[in-house]
Amino acid sequence: MRYILPLLLILILPPASQADWKEQFEKEFLARPWAGPQVPQDVCIECHSSDMMKPEARDIPRKWETSWHYQNGISCHNCHGGDPKDAENAMSPQRGFVGTPKYAQVPEFCGKCHVGILKNFLESGHGKALKSSGKGPNCVTCHSAHDNRKASINIINEQLCTKCHPYERVKVMKQALFVTENKMNEIDKSLKELKTEGVFTEEEEKNFFSTQAQFRTLFHTEDVSLVRRQTDEFVNKLDQVKVKIQKTFEELRFRRDFSAFLMMLFVGMAIGFWVLSKNPKE
Amino acid sequence: MWGKIKNWLEIRIGLDGLMKTHLTEYRVPKNINILYTLGFVALVFFSIQVITGFFLLVYYIPYSEMAFKSVQDIMGTVPYGWLFRQMHVVGSSLMVVVVLFHAIAVFFMGGYKKPRELTWIVGTFMLLITITFCLSGYLLPWSQLSYWATTIATTLPTAFPYAGEIVAKLMKGSEQVSGITLNRFFALHVMLLPLIISVLVGLHIFLVRRIGISSPPFGKSPEAEKPWTEYRHVSHPDGYSFFPDFVLKETIMVMVFCAVMFFFITFLPTLLLPEEANIPADPFKTPAHIKPEWYFLAPYQMLKIIPNKFLGISLQMIIVLLFILWPFLDTAEENNLLKRPRLRWLFFVSLILWMVFTIWGKYS
Repeated sequence: MRYILPLLLILILPPASQADWKEQFEKEFLARPWAGPQVPQDVCIECHSSDMMKPEARDIPRKWETSWHYQNGISCHNCHGGDPKDAENAMSPQRGFVGTPKYAQVPEFCGKCHVGILKNFLESGHGKALKSSGKGPNCVTCHSAHDNRKASINIINEQLCTKCHPYERVKVMKQALFVTENKMNEIDKSLKELKTEGVFTEEEEKNFFSTQAQFRTLFHTEDVSLVRRQTDEFVNKLDQVKVKIQKTFEELRFRRDFSAFLMMLFVGMAIGFWVLSKNPKE
Repeated sequence: MWGKIKNWLEIRIGLDGLMKTHLTEYRVPKNINILYTLGFVALVFFSIQVITGFFLLVYYIPYSEMAFKSVQDIMGTVPYGWLFRQMHVVGSSLMVVVVLFHAIAVFFMGGYKKPRELTWIVGTFMLLITITFCLSGYLLPWSQLSYWATTIATTLPTAFPYAGEIVAKLMKGSEQVSGITLNRFFALHVMLLPLIISVLVGLHIFLVRRIGISSPPFGKSPEAEKPWTEYRHVSHPDGYSFFPDFVLKETIMVMVFCAVMFFFITFLPTLLLPEEANIPADPFKTPAHIKPEWYFLAPYQMLKIIPNKFLGISLQMIIVLLFILWPFLDTAEENNLLKRPRLRWLFFVSLILWMVFTIWGKYS
């Protein structure tokens, strides 16, 4: 006890003279993600989740949380502009708020980021129909708005396409895409697997992403013969990525085997030394 | 050839006498157990860290723009670089485990009592230096994991007013963890800490040899026969020889721990290097589920749950101080923990609490 009391005094007295440490600590430690679940600091989500919204608008944050955009850190203001940190000026045009685009303006709205796709889409039958009559499909017709999913060949399906036109031509396009899309899915899966194995895959990912984006941009032209003509080129590029991935898998297998061998070596030596310690004279 | 070298050395340094005094005729207690080998295991693991660290240092670039890339090159391009890095990463955590086990074993067997107070204090400082080694080394890969885990660890002291802020700023060198922090941690990790720990290891071994190895408290101890009023070396004339008997036991333990290290490298290679360890540090993007390193989880969780943060950090500092100064607080003559119900209770409750806080911190 005679030691503990002075210790407590040494530790308690100096802090008493410092007033603002508590606020500082709360700001730096308690208000950060590692201190527990955080309330999102996004006024768009706060308002759109509140009861004052109409039911269809209230559902947007929930839908967005299931989206591919959400998974990639794309938030409300990235598309709609505005200031998500300032409730009063969140929807101010001075802060870049553009609100909801008109139906025919959706391609330009999405095309702010998806530049290559916008160009090909506007030159396609879909794009021309949209621009001429205002009745053709826009991006959300196929990809949906807030709950958009990762693009895949499955978006092209009879149920969706036959809402506007017969499926026959679409089927031909889907067949043209099939081999390349399958290859891309395989590579995507392998890259994910490599990442969980602790491999840095930045270079392969960049190569893959660039090839995938180019191929999907091509698809938006709706030109089947163009897709067919360029398929070989894309398959070659994807094969190069695949070869690299396969080599990495082989390297991982070698590493596992080699360290397993070292483990067994040490187990064997431990047993050997233990036997020796039981018969010291030998 | 070997005979000639031996003879050459014998004439100059009296090799035979040296071997006899320190190895073959040096005796350890007859009732010595396997827990006494942990100090040697810690020393071997420290050597593994030095050797693997040297190879990593050949390729590592201590500059925030290049650090991550250089570590990825070590993992992917440098021949067997992955092995050296994995051994360094897993070995560092195992070293903390071994040093902790060693401290717990010494505490359990009353090895801190008179005349070994100084040995205990040096040992506790070595434990703290080991953890500082891990903390400073953790930032060097400059990944999201290392950046944000270090941000948490360097924020922890700020719960303590005034001094805490100074400590945090001294560690970081800027408001946030930055390239300056990386340079400071690198210098600490490869220069200052190795120097300090080498001195402490030397002092620790000197004290162990000068005072003599303590006997386990289970059975008759030669130390209890006479009170400690003047210096005397504790010898164990009826004990086992240090070499080869005890060294053989130590070697077995080293082999077991090395096998454990390669078990983790083989079957759980991503346990200490998860996905965030392969993403370059981004000061503007805080990962959602980031935690400090496993040995900081208990203090981290304590700080999270104690409503008064100052009380939380003070409590932790008191615990560390009590741990270091324990030999002066526990002056009872009985060495056997099993014969001291209150101390036994304190020992096991502290251990269980530490484990609970660590697991809680991991999953909270």
